[in-house]
Amino acid sequence: MTLIQNIPLDQIDFSDGTFSINFMPDLERLRSSIQEMGVIQPVLLREKPKGYQIISGFRRIGVVQGLGHTGIVSRVIHEETEDLKLFFISLHDNLTSRGFNTVEKAIALEKLVDHFKVNPVVVTREMLPLFDLERNEKILNTFLSLARMEEEVKRYVLEEAVSRSNIRKLARLSVEDRNAAITLLTALKLGENSLREILTLLEEITKRDRCSVRKVIDLNEIQSLITHPELTSTQKTERVKRVLMDLRYPRMSHLEEQFEKKRRGLSLPPTISLHHPPFFEGRGLRIAFQFESVAEYRSILSSLSALAEREEFEEMIRGGEQAPNPKHPTTNRFK
Amino acid sequence: MIPFQIEKIYLDEKAAGDWVAQAVLKSLPHVPVEEVRDKKPLIKALLSKEDPIGLGKRNLFITRFYGKRLKPCPGTSNHICCGYHVINALTNCPMDCSYCVLQGYLNNPFLTLYSNWDELLLEIETFLSQNHSFLPRLGTGELSDSLALDSIFPLSQTLVSFFAERQKGILELKTKSGRVDHLLDLDHRGRTVVSWSVNPPQMIEEEERRTAPLAGRLEAARQCLERGYPVGIHFDPLIHHEGWEKGYREVTQQLLDRIDTKRIAWMSLGGFRYPPQLKGIAGERFPQARIFLGELFPGRDGKFRYLKEVRIEMYRKMVEWLRQGDPDLFIYLCMESQEVWEKVFGWAPKNSSHLNHLFEERLKKFMNGD
Repeated sequence: MTLIQNIPLDQIDFSDGTFSINFMPDLERLRSSIQEMGVIQPVLLREKPKGYQIISGFRRIGVVQGLGHTGIVSRVIHEETEDLKLFFISLHDNLTSRGFNTVEKAIALEKLVDHFKVNPVVVTREMLPLFDLERNEKILNTFLSLARMEEEVKRYVLEEAVSRSNIRKLARLSVEDRNAAITLLTALKLGENSLREILTLLEEITKRDRCSVRKVIDLNEIQSLITHPELTSTQKTERVKRVLMDLRYPRMSHLEEQFEKKRRGLSLPPTISLHHPPFFEGRGLRIAFQFESVAEYRSILSSLSALAEREEFEEMIRGGEQAPNPKHPTTNRFK
Repeated sequence: MIPFQIEKIYLDEKAAGDWVAQAVLKSLPHVPVEEVRDKKPLIKALLSKEDPIGLGKRNLFITRFYGKRLKPCPGTSNHICCGYHVINALTNCPMDCSYCVLQGYLNNPFLTLYSNWDELLLEIETFLSQNHSFLPRLGTGELSDSLALDSIFPLSQTLVSFFAERQKGILELKTKSGRVDHLLDLDHRGRTVVSWSVNPPQMIEEEERRTAPLAGRLEAARQCLERGYPVGIHFDPLIHHEGWEKGYREVTQQLLDRIDTKRIAWMSLGGFRYPPQLKGIAGERFPQARIFLGELFPGRDGKFRYLKEVRIEMYRKMVEWLRQGDPDLFIYLCMESQEVWEKVFGWAPKNSSHLNHLFEERLKKFMNGD
């Protein structure tokens, strides 16, 4: 049986976070509401030998303390109630009033498994739906891994609304690699797909070359881009991706470079574009051109005709077979 | 026996009375059995697990298959294929190769054995008795390892005997197993080709879990050859990795040292390739796998492959080493373009039918004892 009463703030134990699942709470609206209307929903406290333990209402208590109040309307539980049951009360109290953000769901699920020792199978089957999550072990494990990540990473996940699949990618990195990756990610403007691309590239480069993410990020090419004063975040993102792609696919990068060199050597007019097959698979070349008048059209035909006399053009069509290049850029710059 | 364990058997109640189901239950008396009326909730429950694919490999589902179980191998578009036919007797595999395409294809992750066996044999019989313009080649090694469950149910033994009694048709058993004792005393009459996928030991250890080591596979091939079976060898996937030349050179040398190449019916070379959805799945199941770290890009059929120049280099080297041992080896490329064929061999089959015809000519030589 609970009683409603006004409990002095100096009797509440703020250091006990057993039932807290707050992460980066948005307190502005709550502050305005409490200032105007007071605390409408009592917080839930448990009476302990020395003071009161907060079960539910950490944010409300934090706000009233900030507003200089000396007490807060509370529902107090006196009898011995099992911790897990109290945790569920707290969860339901919050679920019905404000809901949880992604990190708070992770914290709640981690407390259920690690602190309250609820069997993960039971958590999957019975508790994931409380958080609007499917009953799936992989989903539970994703959230558990998020709960165990560093504060900065959690902040990033929340602020950028990182998807579950990208959370799993972050979870696969070591703590050091993850912290290094975050310094790069926060410097760029990344949508979900770009984030996935960059995480994948970092993971694969570091795995292949057996080096750390820090070593990759510390490369001059990347540092100079991140710190460039005139590039926008979007520009930085595209150029960093390019650098990572070249690191990841050095052979392809070399082929593209060679093709581009030969193409420039043909000195084609800007109205004619020359393309190799996608990923150099298949034979031949593709030409595209555009024109706005018959005169332009004739001019293009004349250029194309002249092209046919160029030996280097014929070689490009034949696909000039490449012997393995002994001076080929090494795939591992980190040895 | 493949080193795997069946933890539980799920038995479709409609299959409970089938002799195949009874034979399996008899050979696994200590494995718990649960009868199932509707497989959908069972599959749904498995799919909700962290690793449904891995878990599925340890749980056997016996059920009936309604529909055609003999289909042409889908092959791949814009490339030359060999005209093989796939027998669907068993789906999924107790082995666990990081690059296995089944990880991305199967909606039902259970190791699944279809118990309406007589219907399958009738379907094969009907197919073989049709008036084909080609010599049909059929195999069980696309949706599973052909020999994987033979210790539990005599799948291969039954098929070997079946094909031996027919005038037309060749059975191919494709495997990474080292155990072939159960095949050695069968009267196969040259109608079955037993083939092995091979790779350097380092690749087998890193990417082909629960498979036989290379030495075991080659020894099994040698045993089959001694009993008159034609043998096939598949260098597929060919994996471009640090030290690949040394690794594959050693494999070809071991092969040439231990196997009478005159009895090798065919040898295939297939660069590592995969459908786009596989990488994410395999990446989560095998975070330490290195096979996806090469430079792989989408081909004209959508599958990811090494750069063409890399593949050509690998194929040329392989052909050179193999032909040094035996210039008459029948070597073909799996799922490759005409251009790559031409750059490797100096010629190319005109199309898939042409390649199929070449297979036929090769098989006729074997069957005639040439």
